[in-house]
Amino acid sequence: MTIRQQTDALRGSLDLLILKTLSLVPMHGWGITLRIQQMSEGILDVNLGSLYPALQRLEKNGLIASDWGTTDNNRRARYYRLTAAGRRALGQELDSWKRFTTGLDAVLRST
Amino acid sequence: MLHHARAALVRIRELFRSRSHSAAEQNDEFSFHIEMETAENVRRGMNEADARRAAVLRFGGAQRWAEETQGARGVVTLDNLARDTRFAFRRLHRAPAFAAAVIATLGIGLGAAIGIGTIVYGVLFRDLPYDKPEQLVRVGFITDGIGISGDLHSSATYFHFAKSARSFTELGAYWTSDDFNVTDGDAPERVTVALMTPNTLTLLGARPLVGKLFEPGDTSWSNVRSAILISENFWRRRYGADPSIIGRRIDINRGARNVIGVVPRSFDFPTPAVDIFYPAPVPVKTAQITARGFNVIGRLRDGIDPRVAAAELNALIPSLAERFPAITPDMLQRSRARVSVELLKSATVASVRPQLVLLGVLVAVVLLIATTNVINLFLLRTERASQEIAIALSLGATRLAVAERFVIEGVVLGLASAIVALPVAALALSTKFGFTAREIPRLHEVSFTWETAALVLGCATLIGTAVGLIALTRTGLGGLFDRLRSSRATSSRNWRRAQNGLVAFQVAIALVLLVAAGLLGRSFWNLRNAKIGFEPRNAMTFQVSLPWNGYTSYADGAVFHAKMVDRLSVLPGVMSVAVALRVPLAGRGASTLDLQLQAGDGEGRPTVASAGNMASADYFDVMGIPLRAGRSFRSGDLRGTPAVIVSELLAKNVFGTTDVIGRTIKQSRVGSQPMSFTIVGVVGDVHWERIEDGYAPMLYFPLQRGGDGLPSDRSAVPGRPMDVQYVIRGTQLPSTPTIQEIVKALDRRIPPTNIRTLGSLVDAATARVRLTLLLIAIAGVAALLLGVIGVYSVVAYAANSRVREFGIRLALGAAPTRVGGLVLGDGLKLVFVGIVAGLAAALGTTRFLRALLYEVKPTSVAEFGGATALLVVVTLCATLVPARRAARTHPAVALRGE
Repeated sequence: MTIRQQTDALRGSLDLLILKTLSLVPMHGWGITLRIQQMSEGILDVNLGSLYPALQRLEKNGLIASDWGTTDNNRRARYYRLTAAGRRALGQELDSWKRFTTGLDAVLRST
Repeated sequence: MLHHARAALVRIRELFRSRSHSAAEQNDEFSFHIEMETAENVRRGMNEADARRAAVLRFGGAQRWAEETQGARGVVTLDNLARDTRFAFRRLHRAPAFAAAVIATLGIGLGAAIGIGTIVYGVLFRDLPYDKPEQLVRVGFITDGIGISGDLHSSATYFHFAKSARSFTELGAYWTSDDFNVTDGDAPERVTVALMTPNTLTLLGARPLVGKLFEPGDTSWSNVRSAILISENFWRRRYGADPSIIGRRIDINRGARNVIGVVPRSFDFPTPAVDIFYPAPVPVKTAQITARGFNVIGRLRDGIDPRVAAAELNALIPSLAERFPAITPDMLQRSRARVSVELLKSATVASVRPQLVLLGVLVAVVLLIATTNVINLFLLRTERASQEIAIALSLGATRLAVAERFVIEGVVLGLASAIVALPVAALALSTKFGFTAREIPRLHEVSFTWETAALVLGCATLIGTAVGLIALTRTGLGGLFDRLRSSRATSSRNWRRAQNGLVAFQVAIALVLLVAAGLLGRSFWNLRNAKIGFEPRNAMTFQVSLPWNGYTSYADGAVFHAKMVDRLSVLPGVMSVAVALRVPLAGRGASTLDLQLQAGDGEGRPTVASAGNMASADYFDVMGIPLRAGRSFRSGDLRGTPAVIVSELLAKNVFGTTDVIGRTIKQSRVGSQPMSFTIVGVVGDVHWERIEDGYAPMLYFPLQRGGDGLPSDRSAVPGRPMDVQYVIRGTQLPSTPTIQEIVKALDRRIPPTNIRTLGSLVDAATARVRLTLLLIAIAGVAALLLGVIGVYSVVAYAANSRVREFGIRLALGAAPTRVGGLVLGDGLKLVFVGIVAGLAAALGTTRFLRALLYEVKPTSVAEFGGATALLVVVTLCATLVPARRAARTHPAVALRGE
């Protein structure tokens, strides 16, 4: 993901972002990109080449599930939602992410 | 847990969902996305076309994502498989030497293994084609104490056991004979007859193809039914599968018999060669245990173990003496009489089991070697491709895709070698290496079937997959990091040690086989050039058996033979014709005499064993056997003290000299007075039974033309010429139909058989050695080839993994020849170990060939040295290739690689 200022540290956090986004409300793929863009105030721009494979992977791993639904203006779209396993995984990922950023912070501040 | 289960569920759903549906859904999803994106762009102020282009661009080509997403869903599509297979073909096309080596190695190895394995299985392990074969046993009667070998019964023991034993539902007895002529219709024919107690067929569970089987009363000579059964083969061959065969009268030796049924081909008891089943009584004429000739089989009662049955029969042996007073308890004890009960299946193949088991093991070893070589070749290739793989991975190829590449390459090569293996297996199973059911029982039941083909394909795929996977694990796809940490070193060392061991083993086996091939080759050469004692060129022979009705006296036979000789002599191109009881090297099946001889004047001198023959006056001339002293036979030689001719070896054995004309020789006979003969001639020696046995001492009795030369006293005549061989020498030899016409004109009941040239007798006599030589030579060349591939792949693999070291050495100024020498040294070490082991093994094993060797010692230095030299030269060449490559390593290239 993340086109602007892509760094190794951020690679892999796409899963976390997707899970976080879906934890609020079930959403289609385009909605997810829009939401991430909005929430990050335009800093994070999801690479579509990563998004859909990531969605498939998460679904395969049972963290999210998908169903076909209709949008507000009556278009058919695939909606993704978080499963119970996904919700648990989100909790764990958040914890480790926080530990990671705290550690990172500490290192960066000390120099 | 739940998480895993869910993942599995999704995967399973994917499997059942058709791909097009999935792709269609995906397209929907993507076009929805692009539409939304376009709308968003328009909202931001772009015009419609730009907005759409931007959206599509951002998506980056829908097709690519579609594929990647499919991959993530875990569906390996047929499209991908076809593409990968195409790639595999292209890659292999670029490495023809590698592909050819793998296909040849695996193809020949697998083909031979499946072919020979099928034979071994079919002969040793498949169930006999009879009802409840696990209840069928062969019952043997063994008397080690009185020098009768084999396990045949006398009529007394069969009768006794059949009457008294409780362990069996039935006991049947049978024997076979080639002594029958069928003489109905125009063409008389010599047939193979199985004589058996009527219950034998029913106890095996035979069902007739047409008609009925025997009934208990059929053995009685007075039975008006006079029943016989014929085999399906005979029915088709002689009667064209005539449906009205039932009730047909057939004239055979012992008179006319009625056909009551046809036995199907699938029921091939006791051998597939049987033409006629003849019901025979087992009459106890003389209650002896020495006159033996009956094979006995039985069906065990339900739940009876063969050992229990054997115990019961052994316990019944003493009561033989009660039932038959002529058999004394002392005789039973002295002969150490005992009974063996063995499952019919194992008894049938007992004679060949050790050889076949050995063959099976050998074949498994060959397949193992072939597979190991293929793995080595694969490793070498993947080692070379490791950089390419690393690049592919770093460019984003998934590991699964790279793994797939290896496995598909393995499977493609496996299936390609199946194309070689199938004809090899088919050839092995159709030729059976020249063996027949005569040498290996049940061999005729084995053939190439669809199951065999499926087995070849299955094994080829399996080995291909396994080889691909092993190559994969060894190049450490899973361990790109392992490679960085160099932790592969230790596991590699073990692996390499195993490889080295196997290659040394291959070299050893190749050496043993080459030595054996050399010894057999020399033996064959010696056999072909042996002085066999007669002239096989421009001569032929055939056999005639006179029926007993019509030829009751010596004169009846002699007159017939005289007429035959006269008629054959006038044929164009025929120079001379003779008659004898047997000709040399005629093989088994022809009658022969075993004589005990003694010098007539030397009381107390030892008796000498000799072969005997009966010959007409012209015999020695026609055969080209030189007359050393005295004369040949002439009319009147049977009168008074009959004349005989001795071979030089016999003369030396009996008298210690060849100057024996006019001396008397005595033949001791069991149960009657010895008979005396006057020696009138001495002739050259011949190889009699087999060339390998050397010269045999021979005594020739006169075979007279009949008429006034014969004595009136029948007891003064040594045997009667009933079953004889004609020998014809000429510039032009008569054809088979001509001979058949001449015999038929004299007696239409007699079929001439074994019509052959003398040269073909010599060929047949060397056939056993030739066949074994051929097999061993093929195996030797195959082993040599495998060994070369093995040495090459191991040395090249080792050299390849040291390429950086070579680079450094060269960069530091080492001479290229020195670097090449390092590799060469590696190879030579292997070959040396292999050769030492091989020489030891060959010294230990070639003595098992002794029976096949003729005038060459099993430890002949020339053959050992030659084989070793050949192996050294060839393997050296295999080592030179990687050595040269190592010497040419460019330091910069080698070092840049890291």
